[in-house]
Order: sequence, then C-alpha cells, then structure tokens
Amino acid sequence: MTVAAPDLPPFHTLVDAHGDELLVHARRLTDPVRAEDVVQETLLRALRAYPRLRHGDHLRAWLYRIATTVAMDHHRRGRREVLAADAAEHVAAEPDVADDFEAVIAGLTDTVQVTLRLRFVEDLEYEAIAARLGCSAPAARRRVSSALQTLRERSAA
Amino acid sequence: MTPLPDHLLDAVATEAVREGLADALFTGVTTSIGRLTVATGAHGIVRIGFQEEPEDEVLAGVAAGLGPRVLRAPQELAETGEALSAWLEDDHGGELELPYDLALVRSPFRRRVLEALHAGVHRGETIRYGELAARAGNPKAARAAGTACATNPVPIVVPCHRVLPSTGGVGSYGGGPPRKVALLELEGALPPRLR
Repeated sequence: MTVAAPDLPPFHTLVDAHGDELLVHARRLTDPVRAEDVVQETLLRALRAYPRLRHGDHLRAWLYRIATTVAMDHHRRGRREVLAADAAEHVAAEPDVADDFEAVIAGLTDTVQVTLRLRFVEDLEYEAIAARLGCSAPAARRRVSSALQTLRERSAA
Repeated sequence: MTPLPDHLLDAVATEAVREGLADALFTGVTTSIGRLTVATGAHGIVRIGFQEEPEDEVLAGVAAGLGPRVLRAPQELAETGEALSAWLEDDHGGELELPYDLALVRSPFRRRVLEALHAGVHRGETIRYGELAARAGNPKAARAAGTACATNPVPIVVPCHRVLPSTGGVGSYGGGPPRKVALLELEGALPPRLR
C-alpha cells in the first residue's frame, strides 16, 4: 500500500485530462511514430515518481517536463543507436529522477529557457506568460512553440 | 479532449504491473445489468461499481484505500470483464470464480460478514441478515451485517444480493432492489412470494 500525499489525484484522472495534449507535445518534439513511445515512457516515469510527490500542484506542467525530458532522451538514444551502442546501456543510463528538465534546457539561450520555464515549470497559461514577457498572448504562444522547436532542432543536430 | 488510444494505455498498464508501479487497475464492463466499473488490486477485484455510481467517485475510493496510482487497463482486465458479463448472462452457470480482495473494507466485523457470505451462501440460496451475523460470529449484529452488505465494495462477486430481510420483501441493495431481484432470478433463488 502506498502512502501518498493526501491531495494527489488518482493517476488516471491526469491521463484522462492531459494524455492527449502530452501526445501533441511529444509530436512537436519528435515525430508521430515516436510520440506514442514518448508518452508511454512519460507516464511510466511519472508513475515511478508519483508516490514521492509532496503535493498535487501543477501536475500538468510536471508531466510536460517529463515528456520533454523523455523526448530529448529519445533523440540522444536515437543517435547512440546509429553509433550501434548496446541497448543495455540505455536502460542503465535512464535517470531515476524523472524531473531533470533543467539539464534538458541547459545551454539554450536565457530567453528560450525563461520561456520554457514559464510554461512548463511555473505552469502558466499564455495570457500570464504574455504578462511576464511583456507581449501579447498569441506572441507568447509563438515564443513557447519556437522555444520547443529550438529544443528539438538542437537535440536532433 | 480525446482519450489516449487503448493500446497505449494498455502498454503503460502492463509495464506498470510488471514493475509494481500500479496500485490498482480498472475498466468498464458492459453487462446485462448495466455498465460496471471493475477495479482490481494485486490480489483480485477490490471494487465493482454499478452504472449509477460515478466512475470518478468509485475510483477515488479505490485510490484512497490502495494508493493513487490507478490506471485504466482495458486489455489487462478483459478476461475478468468477460468472465463477469458471461456469468451474468448464464442462468445455468455455477459460482462466479473470480479472485477478490476486501482491502477496502476497514472494519474487521464487516470483513468477516462478507467472507462468511462468500464462503457459505451459494448460488440458489438466500440467507437472513441475522443468520449471516451469527455465521460471522455475532448473532445479535443483524443490523451491522446489513451495513456490511450495504457497503460491500465487491457486489456480485461477494453475493450480498443473496441476503434478505426477515421482515419480508427483497430488502435494499447497493445497485437498487430491481437488480437484486434480477440477480436472484438469474440464480433461480427468488422466493415465490417476491415474484
């Protein structure tokens, strides 16, 4: 029996509420074929970490961060497979801590990092991101989209 | 919002079970007595909810008892669902042999009542609340035996529909009296005066 934080919702409600948008997010970061694998692994990593969460706030952003990390891992893994690295190493190299989002975004320009954090760490809607960045909501949406594009291009390079 | 495809959810559930990451699995099952929500833990069925019970409420109860890692698993539970719906359509069938777990029953007496009911009241039979209380070790606790049945988390599997009041009539049922009548009819155990 798991003793979890009292306000953690049953996990399936997160999947029901955010599963489809995670799939959309994964498609933006990888490709339609790998996106399902990314979501599957995202949910498993989230399950491994779920009982250790201390509160149930911003779970949507938390899932997005894991999905982003998993997608980047898939890119790296893909490169290693090209180099014929063995599969066992990938399993061993998989981080135990689900949430190493900061490591994933390190090395991007400050502006891109700030944009990604507002969306996927602070869990802000586009209107609130716009207020923080001093731009319009559509512009904030474009900035997040372009930041994800940058992340994808960098990891695919 | 569109739900994720079943094959993806099942892949997650299967791997989660393999790694011991799932506190409970669930699926919806269409049966002759309506749609049931069926949830299982590591040792068997922990909860069956009738159609009128909102799925989210049923599963919140499961999460409160077993842990929050509750997963939708249609394929993983397909066999359980098929066994249940087949049993509900077969009026010449035997006992429903599905593993269950009373993990959601906190009170030791209620647990004893439900265990006595499952072990000793077979298809085709009925029992009075007082007699059931006696079998659970306290002949004076007919009312408590009634509560145990009213709060039975695994109806059908633990056959609380076979328990009748001594005052006559079919009595109450978590799934509503008409379902109790339907189940007793299926088993050929509906007392003639209630037909």
